[in-house]
Amino acid sequence: MSPGGGTVTLLTGAVLLRLALTGTYQRYVRVGMGPVLVVAGVVLVALGLVVVARALRTGGTSAGAEADPDDDGDTGDAHSHDDHDRGHTPAVGWLLLAPIAALLLVAPPTLGSYGVDRAAAVDVRAGASDLPPLDPATGPVPLSLTELSQRALDHDGDTLEGVTVQLTGFVADETAPFRLARYQIACCAVDAAPVVVRIDGTVGDPPRRDAWVTVTGTFSSVGDDDIPTVVATTVTEIPTPDDPYE
Amino acid sequence: MATVAAVRAGTTPVEPAPERSRTLSRPGAGSGLVGVTLVVLVAAGGRPLLDDLLDRPAVANWATVFVALVVQAMPFLVLGVAVSAAVAAFVPPGVLPRLLPRRPALAVPVAATAGLVLPGCECGSVPIAGRLVDQGTPAPAALAFLLAAPAINPVVLVATAVAFPDDPQVVVARFLASFLAAIVVGLVWSRRTRRSGDDGIDRAAPAEGAGSRWEVLTATAQHDLLHAGGFLVVGAVVAATLQTVVPRDVVDAVADAGPLAFVALAALAVLMAVCSEADAFVAASLTQFSLTSRLVFMVVGPMVDVKLVALQAGTFGRSFALRFAPLTLLVATGSSAVVGWWLL
Repeated sequence: MSPGGGTVTLLTGAVLLRLALTGTYQRYVRVGMGPVLVVAGVVLVALGLVVVARALRTGGTSAGAEADPDDDGDTGDAHSHDDHDRGHTPAVGWLLLAPIAALLLVAPPTLGSYGVDRAAAVDVRAGASDLPPLDPATGPVPLSLTELSQRALDHDGDTLEGVTVQLTGFVADETAPFRLARYQIACCAVDAAPVVVRIDGTVGDPPRRDAWVTVTGTFSSVGDDDIPTVVATTVTEIPTPDDPYE
Repeated sequence: MATVAAVRAGTTPVEPAPERSRTLSRPGAGSGLVGVTLVVLVAAGGRPLLDDLLDRPAVANWATVFVALVVQAMPFLVLGVAVSAAVAAFVPPGVLPRLLPRRPALAVPVAATAGLVLPGCECGSVPIAGRLVDQGTPAPAALAFLLAAPAINPVVLVATAVAFPDDPQVVVARFLASFLAAIVVGLVWSRRTRRSGDDGIDRAAPAEGAGSRWEVLTATAQHDLLHAGGFLVVGAVVAATLQTVVPRDVVDAVADAGPLAFVALAALAVLMAVCSEADAFVAASLTQFSLTSRLVFMVVGPMVDVKLVALQAGTFGRSFALRFAPLTLLVATGSSAVVGWWLL
């Protein structure tokens, strides 16, 4: 074992911990994954420390009890002789530095409008459950785009009658009338599926594409493509929320 | 072992390549640390460049999907590696194979059933299956476990039930089709092994004179982690690229194309490389497709996909993966078509 291999493990664990503790992980995986990432991170950091410590103690030339002259970086005791024959070069482990570098340096953003017309849209009907009446008395009612779509498709949007709703998402078009979108994720950004709402009634162009906004307005109708339209009264730009997916 | 070694000697007559890879992949005491430091420094220097790149929506989309795939798979990989390392350290070689019936016709279904108890996704099952083989488990049984575990464990079945609230028969169909496919592939592999006397797996030398259990545990975990993690990165690059590049119109067009939809969703499962705990939600969202073609997606995905093939190639050898993946793809598609026709 070389200290290099252990360092990669250590760094991987540290990056996972950092993602979990800063909350940045919510850009990539679903919210509940935080504790799991912490556990994985702690295990990796501990393992990396053990490996580095042992490698430094033994001068990095032998793997524990087995003094193996052709120890190749991160091969365990179990496979010392013919790793290269298996297409098994552990050198492939260095590739882990790619996501580590990406995360340490730039942390890729949350998914934006690029995928809205590429990914399969959410079938909002699939998850629809009981839709209790909304209480408009206390001001605009915050709704997820999914719930708004479900209510809009249910009995021609009866439960939205006379209610001012407040929606949060990102702008998916350059010009008005624009679409407001937000992704649903089941597990991670790989399976993200967009939910889209048309926003009408705005004057001038929307804030730049991919800007996050909060829109208040009222539901008007559902288009042929099952996408509801909301007539906006206000459109306010906001910073990217911590929990960007629905 | 002797046969395998002989076969290998036959296929690689000259030995200069190992020498080369040995020097390449052998950072001495200090060079590993130097290497890591160098990469970090270069990346830090290139940061403005990276920032510029991420301003392009397509690149940002690619990077997010790539990182998400790695981050989401990592805990499962750690779990799989931990189980694999614990087996290496604490289970004496030969014990696990003895737990299985001797006859392949029985051992394969038993091993596939054992897949019920490993919660996780496909990334975790590859190192475990590799360990089973290293411990002397016959390849067909280990492979049946490899294919069944990520597809039929309780977590995945519950996720499937949640994703298809109106079609509970999808859960049953998924279980049956995956179980069937795992067993058929195992039995086919066992026949093939008996005929040719070679199970196609490129084995590492067995552990000899290893240190204390603690040392074996950490060394194995370290090795399996970097190894599987590296191939995971390769697979994530491919999957992220395809997700970013293939246009939606292409997907919509094939959804209406009858039997072609089966093939299309099998291909999509291979290329998207979604984790088996999430693929039911993806399948549920592919409303343009019939239930049976979506079943194909959920049965093929945990068994064959780009990152998985990369992982398998790394663990069992490239030539193994080249034969195993097409066979599995064929059987998985076939079994879900049959089960789907029957149940859905």
